Amino acid sequence: MTYPEQLMELIEDFQSIEDRMERLEYVFDLASEVNELPVEAWTDSTRIHGCQSEAHVRVDIDNNNVRLYAGADSKLVQGLMGILTIAIDHQPIEIARNLTPDFAMTMGILNSLSPSRSNGFRNMFDKVMSEISEEE
Amino acid sequence: MRMAIQDDFPILQRQVNGHRLIYLDNAATTQKPSTVINAMNDYYTKHNANVHRAVHTLAGEATDGYEACRTSLKSWFNAERCILTSGTTEAINLAAHAWGHPQLKGRAIVLTEMEHHSDIVPWQMLAETFGNELRYVPVKQDLTLDMEAFEASIEGAGLVCVVHTSNVLGVRNPIEEIIEIAHKHGAKVLLDAAQGAPHCQIDMTELGADMMALSAHKMCGPTGIGCLLVNEDTFQEMKPFMGGGDMIETVTLEGSTYQTNEHRFEAGTPRIAEAIGWNAALDYLATLNLEEQHLRLLNIARHVADALRAMGMTVYGRHDDEDSSVVSFLHPTLHSEDFAHLLDACGVAVRTGHHCAQPLLNRLGISGTVRASFYIYNTMQDADEFLGHVGDILERFA
Repeated sequence: MTYPEQLMELIEDFQSIEDRMERLEYVFDLASEVNELPVEAWTDSTRIHGCQSEAHVRVDIDNNNVRLYAGADSKLVQGLMGILTIAIDHQPIEIARNLTPDFAMTMGILNSLSPSRSNGFRNMFDKVMSEISEEE
Repeated sequence: MRMAIQDDFPILQRQVNGHRLIYLDNAATTQKPSTVINAMNDYYTKHNANVHRAVHTLAGEATDGYEACRTSLKSWFNAERCILTSGTTEAINLAAHAWGHPQLKGRAIVLTEMEHHSDIVPWQMLAETFGNELRYVPVKQDLTLDMEAFEASIEGAGLVCVVHTSNVLGVRNPIEEIIEIAHKHGAKVLLDAAQGAPHCQIDMTELGADMMALSAHKMCGPTGIGCLLVNEDTFQEMKPFMGGGDMIETVTLEGSTYQTNEHRFEAGTPRIAEAIGWNAALDYLATLNLEEQHLRLLNIARHVADALRAMGMTVYGRHDDEDSSVVSFLHPTLHSEDFAHLLDACGVAVRTGHHCAQPLLNRLGISGTVRASFYIYNTMQDADEFLGHVGDILERFA
């Protein structure tokens, strides 16, 4: 599958980092990429279920483009949200909804996480995709 | 410096994420010495058969191996009866069904806020059926049970369920006092000894506990097996819980009669290899001076707790002389799950989350901790390397 340019760059970046700690450090850094969903806006409908930490997302559609807002009490989770933000924020709906979670496997990031965190990422991805479908 | 004990545990040779494994998740499960692994392997390669009824040689050997575990457990804990179960959780559920159903109708059950979910949920389920009142003894600010509240809650209770040693705090509860007060008021006592049994020699008869539940895998034995130790009076009050093979004496189309010994509560083919493995674990532990080990590990836990406090962590535990070597802690900004991931990248295994004790964490006003727990093969070098990794993580990520 071909990915949007900015996502392709991110995948290549991750693939070039072999040290597990450095990969995690990079994920931490990506936490700053999210459009922050403030804690006051966290509700049951924004909650990502199945996450071991508090994690919330909201999707808006602006002129046919996806806008992703997210927040988590874990910086690592927020970093994963940052990756998804880079992948789909500002992207046209048609492109965003064609994305599959396989990109995270290609990136190799899920190998650096525990199974519960990997499942959490999958749940986050599914929730975002389902919200995009609802917004269409 | 490497200890001889470490050489007995093959898994400690492995590398994790390019680092020497530092295994500090012992309150969740301990590693297994070669003697346990070999005993189970030996059973499957030389003696495998079903127990009790067959007359052939292999069945006899398997039965001897299985029953030897029961005999060893009775002796180790000075217990009158030993029912083998899948673990502590099944043991407590067995107590709720086999003893609680017939004996606790209309009577209150006293629990504590310090209990593991396994010692709360079975009693909530029982209460849903029979309407028992559940009374919870609070945990005080100093992380001990509120004994005044306990005394106030005991009147009219039929059972007190209390954790011997907390899996989150390492706090050893005043079991002797609790048993004395409970018995004075006509209530029986069930001890959850899952965390206590691996750390000290518990004499059930001397303590006067009526029931005691524990698991093999937290004391160097295999997963999938535990036991409910029961005194004779309580045993005689228990009714069969699960029906099927091995627990019956005779079966006709009109009805069945049951075994009178512990087999009455062990329906179906039991955990034979696991029992043999557990027996080997007890033999292994018997070669150590557990009291010395306890003091050594507590010393390590105190050292780690002090160092973590100095690094700005909140440590949840007091590490008194009889407490276990568990260190639960939280950093003010770095999430516990993140901490565990970062430690894993350094080859350090710790546990995070609510540790199946949500009511206790609610009382502490937190949703989870990082928990480092030490056991017989851990050394001060493990502790210092762990602390070194913690320091590096704080420097890079906090």
